[in-house]
Amino acid sequence: MSVRPVAQLSEYGAAAQGRAGSAFWWGLIILAGGLLLPWSRQGVNVLAYDAARTGLRLAFEAWPIAAALALAGVLVVLGRPAFPTRAAGRAMLAVSAAGAAVTIGHLLTRNEPFGLGAVVVFLGFLSVAGMSLSYGGLLRVEPFAGAAILWLAAFIAVFILYPLWAMLVTSVWVRDRFTLDVFRQTLRSPTFFLFENPWTELSERRLALWVGLASGLVALAWQVVLHRTELGQNWRRIALWTVTGAASGYCLSALYTGFGALRNSVLLALSVGLVSTALGLSFALLAQRSRFPIRSLMGPISTLSMITPPFVLGLSMIYMFGRQGFITNQILGLSTNAFYGPLGVGVAQVLAFTPLAYLVLTGVVRSLDPAMEEAAQTLRASRWRLFHTVTWPLLRPGVANAFLLCVIESLADFGNPLILGGGVPFLPTEVFFAIEGRFNQNEAAVYGVILLFMTVGVFALQHYWIGRASYVTVTGKPTGGNPSPLPGVLEYPMTAAFVLWTLLGFMLYASVFFGSFVKLWGFNNTFTLEHYEALRTSGIGVFLDTARLAAIASVPSALVGFLLAYVVGRLRFPGRSLLEFTSMLSFAVPGTVMGIGYVLAFNSGALRLTGTELIIVLAFVFRNMPVGIRSGLAALQQIDRSLEEASTTLRASNVTTLRRILFPLLVPAVISGLMFSFVRAMTAISQVIFLVTPSTNLATVLILSWVGHGSIGRGAALSCVLIAAMAVVVLVLNVVLHRTGRRAGPAATL
Amino acid sequence: MTKTARMLWLAMSCLVVAGIVLAPAAGAQGTVTVLCSPNVVWCDVIKEEFPKATGINLEYIRLSSGEGLARLRAERANPTFDVWFGGTGDPHLVAFTEGLTEFYRPSSWDDLVPAFRQVTGETYLPLYAGILGWAVNDQLLASMGLPVPLTWKDLTNPIYRNLVAMPNPNTSGTGYTMLATILQIYGEDEGWRILRDLHFNIAQYTRAGAEPGLLAGRGEVAIGVTFMHDALNQAIQGFPVSVRAPADGTGFEIGGLSLVRNGPNREGAIRFIEWALSPEAQVLAAQRGDSYQLPTNVNTPLHEQAPRFDEVRVIPYDFAHWGDPEVRDAVVSRWTSEIYPLPKPRN
Repeated sequence: MSVRPVAQLSEYGAAAQGRAGSAFWWGLIILAGGLLLPWSRQGVNVLAYDAARTGLRLAFEAWPIAAALALAGVLVVLGRPAFPTRAAGRAMLAVSAAGAAVTIGHLLTRNEPFGLGAVVVFLGFLSVAGMSLSYGGLLRVEPFAGAAILWLAAFIAVFILYPLWAMLVTSVWVRDRFTLDVFRQTLRSPTFFLFENPWTELSERRLALWVGLASGLVALAWQVVLHRTELGQNWRRIALWTVTGAASGYCLSALYTGFGALRNSVLLALSVGLVSTALGLSFALLAQRSRFPIRSLMGPISTLSMITPPFVLGLSMIYMFGRQGFITNQILGLSTNAFYGPLGVGVAQVLAFTPLAYLVLTGVVRSLDPAMEEAAQTLRASRWRLFHTVTWPLLRPGVANAFLLCVIESLADFGNPLILGGGVPFLPTEVFFAIEGRFNQNEAAVYGVILLFMTVGVFALQHYWIGRASYVTVTGKPTGGNPSPLPGVLEYPMTAAFVLWTLLGFMLYASVFFGSFVKLWGFNNTFTLEHYEALRTSGIGVFLDTARLAAIASVPSALVGFLLAYVVGRLRFPGRSLLEFTSMLSFAVPGTVMGIGYVLAFNSGALRLTGTELIIVLAFVFRNMPVGIRSGLAALQQIDRSLEEASTTLRASNVTTLRRILFPLLVPAVISGLMFSFVRAMTAISQVIFLVTPSTNLATVLILSWVGHGSIGRGAALSCVLIAAMAVVVLVLNVVLHRTGRRAGPAATL
Repeated sequence: MTKTARMLWLAMSCLVVAGIVLAPAAGAQGTVTVLCSPNVVWCDVIKEEFPKATGINLEYIRLSSGEGLARLRAERANPTFDVWFGGTGDPHLVAFTEGLTEFYRPSSWDDLVPAFRQVTGETYLPLYAGILGWAVNDQLLASMGLPVPLTWKDLTNPIYRNLVAMPNPNTSGTGYTMLATILQIYGEDEGWRILRDLHFNIAQYTRAGAEPGLLAGRGEVAIGVTFMHDALNQAIQGFPVSVRAPADGTGFEIGGLSLVRNGPNREGAIRFIEWALSPEAQVLAAQRGDSYQLPTNVNTPLHEQAPRFDEVRVIPYDFAHWGDPEVRDAVVSRWTSEIYPLPKPRN
């Protein structure tokens, strides 16, 4: 361990001589917070001040508080030198770990809801412990990074892992006994998967076997032809391909002919993922380099469909495509309810998730370096060849991310299957029915675990696909030139798709708008303002509350996401991939499971949070943060490390590099992260439906309950208010985003 | 650091600070918190009228009865709610047997319809009664040249393929009431066969009990199985549906009212229960709440269109047996595993 990291050396230069170390200041913060702020609270207001519960009063009654304060005093003494020796670092680590342990022990034994003081004390000790890991030479990162890693790990453990754990424990322990019966029952139930269709002559099992065999043979033949010169060396590869081919053929056939929630959800997720990613990519490419003058419309229009609560879109789709639908019946003259089921859900999800893919991909497309394409053009590459060999490989990581996001979103979405599913089982709705209908948390947890496994599978695929290739295009060196136009073969279908998309979206919005101004949508089309007047008594207050909570939550979502992307993408430390995986977990787990987990985990004891606004904010933050991480990671992958190395060589610390080099480069990514988490929070439903209380109700829950009980006009009116307000926010942020992109100059265009 | 980055920091800090500062003061003392399961319009009416009558503030949240029970279970240690208002009786009974709610004898006990109060006993309080029936879209049936079905058995006729909607018994008390009704009329064997055949005709299983009426009203389906008062609501709102009851008998529900155990404001909850069972409060349901159930206080005047027990063939519904949580679980699980996932024949 004689080699010290370069970054740490730089610290000596950066800090002025004689300045006190960070541990000293943290010690003071702990002392102040522990003495002056309440350690516990009574009501639901987390920020409430209660003089009788401060450390000043309690220190003489409760020895752990006194001990924690004493330990903080020790830290103040130990932390004086700006650059502690390794021994001092280890001593501080021991002291702060003891302090954190004492604090937690006190909270747990007291079993009273925590107060602000306890939070300050615990986080203070955590920060010092993180920094000491670095001072003591146990973690080869800078002190700041050590503290950041510990903070992130603690938050993820408490707000993602602990609720899931509580959920699993509550379910696997049936009447104080461990049992796996529920797993067996659920996996065997025909609701989950039904192979043989009793109404067909042929055996679906046998069909799947034949298809599997055939595709295995095709894969074998293909690989043998491919490696015909050196068969002996490649036998492993050939065998692998054959087995994979056979297995995927079998699975696809089984999924295609089978029935049940598993089949519906997997087929749906795959097709929605493919279509949404393709559309999102097309729109992103069109927005950047189309010859048609529609590019300025693109952002706002495709973002607009995202700001609609999903079930409202579903409702207006019923009016358009249902049995009595405007298009299906009035225009096409059909009487069918084929739209209910996977088709309708698929269309609704594609409409909802394409903007997600667009948002992920637009940053990537914008940061493509035109110089590379110009180089290819200079070498006389055709437009198609240019796209195929230069543009596409650069886009691939972004495409993989977008596909991953859409598949996971589709697997976890429960609003659309509930409204448009027509009673066909899907995995997320089964979770919902198991919890809310059959009150069977065991079964819900089983479905949750299955969804989790699928997510892990998708992750593995993505890693395999992107591989280790480097796609650095932001080099800090000036680039020039204009992006080349798309080949016509691609451009015309893309534009057609965009026009269709726009028309559909416009129609749906017009229909919601129309529905909010008439007495009875579709039956009594007399103009009225009564729905909006009714909002004044019960809708508008809830709407303002929702907006406030979503706004508060968007800031930590974006910042924590950004910090996590940096920590995971740029630092090397043990447990890095674990941190990345667990941070994405809350996104993959269906919202309903997460919501129930929150209620179970935070309903009693020291961590009691139910009934507070904070728990809703936290649910939003940890649910929406992964989007920030993903877009942050995608953007970071395109920034050359030499920029940071240059900064480090000039003796800037990690914090300075992060603040002055990476953050300004990532401003557009952070802004779109803010916007996105705000919008997602405003339209969220599944994870918060269990957390709302009468004093903290949310607009989406209110709309769903109105719509479910036939007050469609009122629901439409509140949806219109919601959509209009979010449209304003999104448009303003889009303008800001556009202008920042320009101001940042050619050297750092993102 | 660039100017934009600095401005972004500033904007984000302002956002958080403003959000925290603008937070409304925590709920004032003397507020009753109600878990409200009926029609949301009715919930709004009680929110408006209860403070006028008593001076106590009321806040509510709308959750259907299944969701409400799940919520009460999850919050067992620290209930948010004082009272559970409305919703099918079975979940109220489950909540009582699990100790989530407790019995309270109101001063108007003797004014409650004796038949209902004998059914509930000292568990939960009867708030209203509703009769299971159908919302039938006569226009759609006429345009397709189909006869109006008369009995539960008629509904299984293949001519109604994809024209029937019913609530999913997993989430809806209405759906369970329908299963229990058919099983009580036709017995186990034939009852399950009817339910299976009915499955082939179902276009949609809905989450809430009132939704099938909505679907029938919009013409998505021709027949929606729902409570008659919900069907009546659709008809009064102007949808082209008629309210019908099956001729081979139908079941009914008793809507419950329960006092949550260890709720935050017990005195307010008791005041609310007293008020909710008074004729003055009960008459509001039909007058302004779009809810046409039969009120349980004998002194409450009836709405002229409200479905009455003497007009339809109501079966002697065995609440003791079919309301038993274990029986309920067994019936719903059997339906969920044997009928719900069955693929439909292609023809």
